Amino acid sequence: MIRTIISFASVIILSTSFSALAKTKVTWSMESNADRDPIMIEKLQNAYNNSQDNHELVIEFEDNETRLTSMRTAMIGGMGPDIVETPGPSYVKEYHAAGMLENLDSYAAEFGWKDKMIPWAYSSGVFEGSLYAIPKTHESMVMLYNKTLFEENNWKVPTTLEELEDVAGKIKAKGMNVFSYGSDGWQPTHEHLVGIYLNNYAGPQAVYEAIIGEREWTDPVFVEALELLKKHMVDEGYWSGSLENYYAIGWDDFHAQFANRGAAMMTIGTWTFQATQLGIGASDDEWGWAPLPSLSSQSPDPNFMIAIGTTMSVNANGKNKDGAIDVLNWIMSNKDKVLDIAKDFQFGEMVVPLTLSSSDIPTDIAPQVQDYLSEYARITGEGNYGYCTWTFWPADPGVHIWKDMEVVWAGDISVEDFLYDHQKMWDKARKNGDTLPVPLRN
Amino acid sequence: MKIFSNKNFVAWYFVLPVAFIHLFVIGIPSLASLALCLTDWRGLGEINYIGFENFIELFDDRYLKKAIINNVIWTIAFLTVPVGIALTCAYLLTGIKRGQMFFRLAFFFPYMLASVINCQIWKYLFHPIHGLGGFFERIGWDFLAVSPFTMKSTSLFAVAFVDGWHFWGFLVVIYLTGMYQVDNHLYEAADIEGATKFQKFRYITLPMIRPVFVFSIMIIIIWSVPVFDYVYILTGGGPAYSSEVIANYMYSQAFERFDVGYSSAIGTLMFFYVMIIVALFGLFRKAGWDI
Repeated sequence: MIRTIISFASVIILSTSFSALAKTKVTWSMESNADRDPIMIEKLQNAYNNSQDNHELVIEFEDNETRLTSMRTAMIGGMGPDIVETPGPSYVKEYHAAGMLENLDSYAAEFGWKDKMIPWAYSSGVFEGSLYAIPKTHESMVMLYNKTLFEENNWKVPTTLEELEDVAGKIKAKGMNVFSYGSDGWQPTHEHLVGIYLNNYAGPQAVYEAIIGEREWTDPVFVEALELLKKHMVDEGYWSGSLENYYAIGWDDFHAQFANRGAAMMTIGTWTFQATQLGIGASDDEWGWAPLPSLSSQSPDPNFMIAIGTTMSVNANGKNKDGAIDVLNWIMSNKDKVLDIAKDFQFGEMVVPLTLSSSDIPTDIAPQVQDYLSEYARITGEGNYGYCTWTFWPADPGVHIWKDMEVVWAGDISVEDFLYDHQKMWDKARKNGDTLPVPLRN
Repeated sequence: MKIFSNKNFVAWYFVLPVAFIHLFVIGIPSLASLALCLTDWRGLGEINYIGFENFIELFDDRYLKKAIINNVIWTIAFLTVPVGIALTCAYLLTGIKRGQMFFRLAFFFPYMLASVINCQIWKYLFHPIHGLGGFFERIGWDFLAVSPFTMKSTSLFAVAFVDGWHFWGFLVVIYLTGMYQVDNHLYEAADIEGATKFQKFRYITLPMIRPVFVFSIMIIIIWSVPVFDYVYILTGGGPAYSSEVIANYMYSQAFERFDVGYSSAIGTLMFFYVMIIVALFGLFRKAGWDI
């Protein structure tokens, strides 16, 4: 009897070991986040590994800045992870230009990826006519507000510049900050605001024309947009009370400020939904969201800026390209599993731009997020979308737009001079072929 | 074969492993950087030779000029404030017989802390919500409520202050070591002559610790060139490049703008600057300076 049990156990152990050995390892270097990592392990890594017997996905989490440097070094040396995760198309462009990414055209055709994705998101990964990256998450900018506070004070959620400045005056009179936001710990936060003012003052059409080179960035409409941002930032102190406080306040602080009525509104990306739900969502106050207000007659309709938060590519020198393709195809083919992951982050992360119908939107997420997802689909579907700088700006002007904006706010150079420099960088990027894919506008 | 067992070669055997590591970790990358400064390499992909274009661009770069000026200010600040305080404290400590070890440890303690920890301590101390800023705002002293790291006029000095706070204890220890080497008979003779404490410091201590002092000046000047961590952690060079230093700017060019060729040109500039300083000190030594 004992001999039978031992034999049986041995067979099970050996078959399990052989099955593990038979699997080929697929590595994925992913940005680390203490809250997200366990979910990614459970619902992505383990779920994929349990779904098939050929490959074993291993996600390696690392602080993003360190990860990007070490991954870059490894890839220069002809190594690196099988799945290359980058913070956006400007990084993909660099890797693509160096011939380090696998052309995904044949796989996209074989597995029908194009039909499964939102068209603009698919085109963001197309370089020189071929697909090299798939967005892991797409996002937009929104305006959050303390709904309870607004109702208590009979304040109207602003939809225009006049309404914004009116309610801002009332909020300040109550001793609160207009918007909760700050750049400590992430200097590129400035580009969120620059993007809002370019798109919602100059309008998405003007921004599109400048991106494709049919309009100069020195155009008066962009000058006016950034002058308005400077006025609101420096003179009015809309964000956290003053420019200096805006520089001093980071992620935890501005969420706390919004949650405890230190500020009435917050301009931020949709990646914040989970943190917002855990912050103000856990307080007695209810939060709401709205599209960012129109800041001029040139941008009259509400629009959502489109952006790619993270991309996934296959390392051309990777040890297991087939495995990497299989992982990507698993993601593209398992909408329910991907939505289940996104649900855990309140659609702030892992929002793969798969085409969704209204019935796909989970009902067990915050009602505000459900509402946002419907509105985002409706408004962008109508062609009312703008452009986030970190997705459509080449590397050099992409850094200039946030790093040198501080110089404008400090009063060291004029907005005109800033945009003159900006145009020069775009000219250089265009000349060097460094511009990024941008979806055609209707 | 006998030559390899020669006594003179023994030292080489010990030095070789370190020299070998240095060759790979410092030598080859430095040489590569010298070569890359003449290219347009973006960190990935093909490398094109562009001659001295990067250097021509350097001379037009207003933010690099700003960073160089900030480095000079930084050097002057470090050559004066921490050196002055450290000299004074070290001299005063020589007069303390009981509890001197406590002060030495207390002064040296910040030097033992990691730069990230030092930075976080001061960042929170000056924080407008959690730190002294919130306190000053509550008592109505609004002019002190703003973090000095976020003001253009104060950011560089605030960062230098934090780095200086961490560094001066190190200077105290090396000055103190120098001061203990001074022959006590000199002070006794000065006492007989009726010299004041300051006179003893000026005419005995300072000349006698000159090698240590000049060494400290040299390392301060050299260490001020690649200063990076405190700036990077506390301000990132901002606001508006007000605390930008050369190393931080070089990092930004390489890892934010992917302009490795240009970044290498900045590195080359720093390399030659340090070489000039080292050469100057070498000349002083040749001229008979006791350093």
